[in-house]
Amino acid sequence: MSESLYRDVLLDHMRHPRFSGKVEPADRAASAHNPLCGDELELTLALDGDRIREARTQVRGCSICVASASMMGELLQGASLSQAACYGTLFQEAMASGELPSEDLARLRPLLEVRKHKSRVKCASLAWNALEACLQAPQSST
Amino acid sequence: MPDSFPMASFPDALRQDFPVLTRLINGHPLAFLDNAATTQKPRAVLDALTHFYETSNANIHRGVYTLSEEASELYEQARERVAQFLNAPNSRQIVFTRGTTEAINLAANSWARPRLQPGDRLLLTEMEHHSNLVPWQLVAAATGAELDYVTVTPKGHLDLDSLTGQLAKSPKLLAVTHVSNVLGTINPLRKIIATAHEHGVPVLVDAAQAVGRVAVDVQELDCDFLAFSGHKVYGPTGIGVLYAKAEHLDAMEPWQGGGGMIAKVGRDHSTWGEVPAKFEAGTPPIAEAVGLHAALDFVERPGVSKIREHERDLADLALGRLLEEPEVTVFGPPNSAERTGLVSFALDGVHPHDVAQVLDESGIAVRAGHHCAQVLHERLGVNATVRMSFGVYNTASEIHRAVDTLAEARRLFL
Repeated sequence: MSESLYRDVLLDHMRHPRFSGKVEPADRAASAHNPLCGDELELTLALDGDRIREARTQVRGCSICVASASMMGELLQGASLSQAACYGTLFQEAMASGELPSEDLARLRPLLEVRKHKSRVKCASLAWNALEACLQAPQSST
Repeated sequence: MPDSFPMASFPDALRQDFPVLTRLINGHPLAFLDNAATTQKPRAVLDALTHFYETSNANIHRGVYTLSEEASELYEQARERVAQFLNAPNSRQIVFTRGTTEAINLAANSWARPRLQPGDRLLLTEMEHHSNLVPWQLVAAATGAELDYVTVTPKGHLDLDSLTGQLAKSPKLLAVTHVSNVLGTINPLRKIIATAHEHGVPVLVDAAQAVGRVAVDVQELDCDFLAFSGHKVYGPTGIGVLYAKAEHLDAMEPWQGGGGMIAKVGRDHSTWGEVPAKFEAGTPPIAEAVGLHAALDFVERPGVSKIREHERDLADLALGRLLEEPEVTVFGPPNSAERTGLVSFALDGVHPHDVAQVLDESGIAVRAGHHCAQVLHERLGVNATVRMSFGVYNTASEIHRAVDTLAEARRLFL
C-alpha cells in the first residue's frame, strides 16, 4: 500500500473510531496520558474468564491517537489476555524497529508510518500504554 | 485583512542574517512561526560564538594567563550589557543561569524557601508557564506553604479584582508573567507591581516572552526579581538571567554549591564569594554569555519599539485572517495593543497536533499542545491549542500561507 492509502486508513479510523466509549461495568480499566500535549484516554475491558469479551477506549486526542486506539480495539475483541499482552509487546517492538513480525498484526501497518514523525510516536503508543497498564491491573477501579 | 495592510516590516537583508531561513522543509521554504518557543539565531550571534571558541576560549576567573583573562572580561562585559539592556542599577544584580527556569528555581530556593513557614501563601496566576509554577509547588511542598492563583478572565486578562482579593491574604511573594506564552496578553505590570507593593508583597516577573519584544525596564517596573532566557531573544540556548534588587541578593544564601562561588573552603564550613558569583557555582555558560551579548546588540539595532511594531502588525494580520476563518476559535485579548506577536487558536474538530502536522508538510513551523501551561488550558476549557508566534524575520506572506493551509487541514480531517 502507498503512503496515501495508509493515511486514508488512519483517517477512516479517526473519523469512525471502532469500539470507542466505555464498557460498564468494566473488569479492567486503565488510563494513559501524554504529558507533552495533554492527550488522554481510558481503556476498559469486560472479561469472560481470561478472554476479552469487549474492549473500548474513550479518547481525547489527535487523529493518530484515536486511530491507534480504534485499531487496537479491533484486535482485542475476543482475544485472550495473554494474546493481548503479546499484541502489546509486538506493537511496541514494531514501533521501535519498523518491522511487523506477525501476520496477525498486519492491519497495524499504517500506524508504522507514524515513525517518520518522532513526535507522533507517543500519540500512536498511548492506547497501547493503557493496554499494558490494564493487563497489569489486577482489578478494575471503575 | 487586506494584503496592503501597512506593515512595519524589516528589509529582506535582515532575513538574510538568519542562515536557517534558507532551508526548505518538505520542499517548501521554512516559515518559522514558533518564536515564543525559541528564536532563530542571526549570523552575528553565530559568529560571536565561533569567534569566542576560536580566539578566547578558556575558563574564567581562575587562570592568570591571557586567554583566561580575556574570557573573564568577555563574560563580565556580557553581564554589563544585560544590565544596561534591562536598565538595572548595577551589573552585580545580574546573575547568569541556564535559562528562565533555572533563574526562577534559584529565586524559589535561595530567596523564598528559607523565608516560608507552614501556612504561608505564595500567589501565582493561572497564566503561568510551568517554569513559573512548578518551582513554587516544589518549595510549597517542602515548607508547608500554600499556593493561590489570580484568575484569568474569558478575554484572557488577569482578573485584577481577584489579584486585590488574593493580595489581602498577605502572600510572601507574587510570581507573575509579563507576557502570556499562550494568550500573548501583556500584563499591566507596573500597576500590578505597585498594587502588590502597597500590600507589602514582593514580585517576581517571568519575562521570558517579554525581553526583546516589549520594553522591559526593571527600575520602571520596580520588580523585585525578573527572569528571562537568551534563546528567546535571538541568543544561544543554555543561558538565562535572574535580575534581583540588591537587598534581596545580599540577603540570599547560595542554592547550588561548587567552584567559583566561594570565598574560602574549609573541611566543615565554607564562606561565599561576592554577589553575583556566589549564585553561579561551577563553570558558567561563558560562550553563551558572549552570544547573548551579541544577541542584545542585534536586537538594539532596530530597537525593541520597532520590533514591537513589526510583531504587532503581524499579530493584527493573523488575528484578522483567523477571525474570518470558519471553525476557528482565537484565544486571548482581541486587541493587538494588549498582546505580543503571538496568536493561539483552535480549529474546531481538528486536533492541534494534526493542524501542526499539516502545516509542517507545507514547511510552516507552529506549536501544538498545552505550551507548558496546563492550568491555563484548563481555564480555557481545551487540552491543547495551535500557536503561531512571530519574530523579526517573519513576513505577512508567511502568515497568509499558514492561514491558507488551514483549508487543507479542514479538507483532510473534517
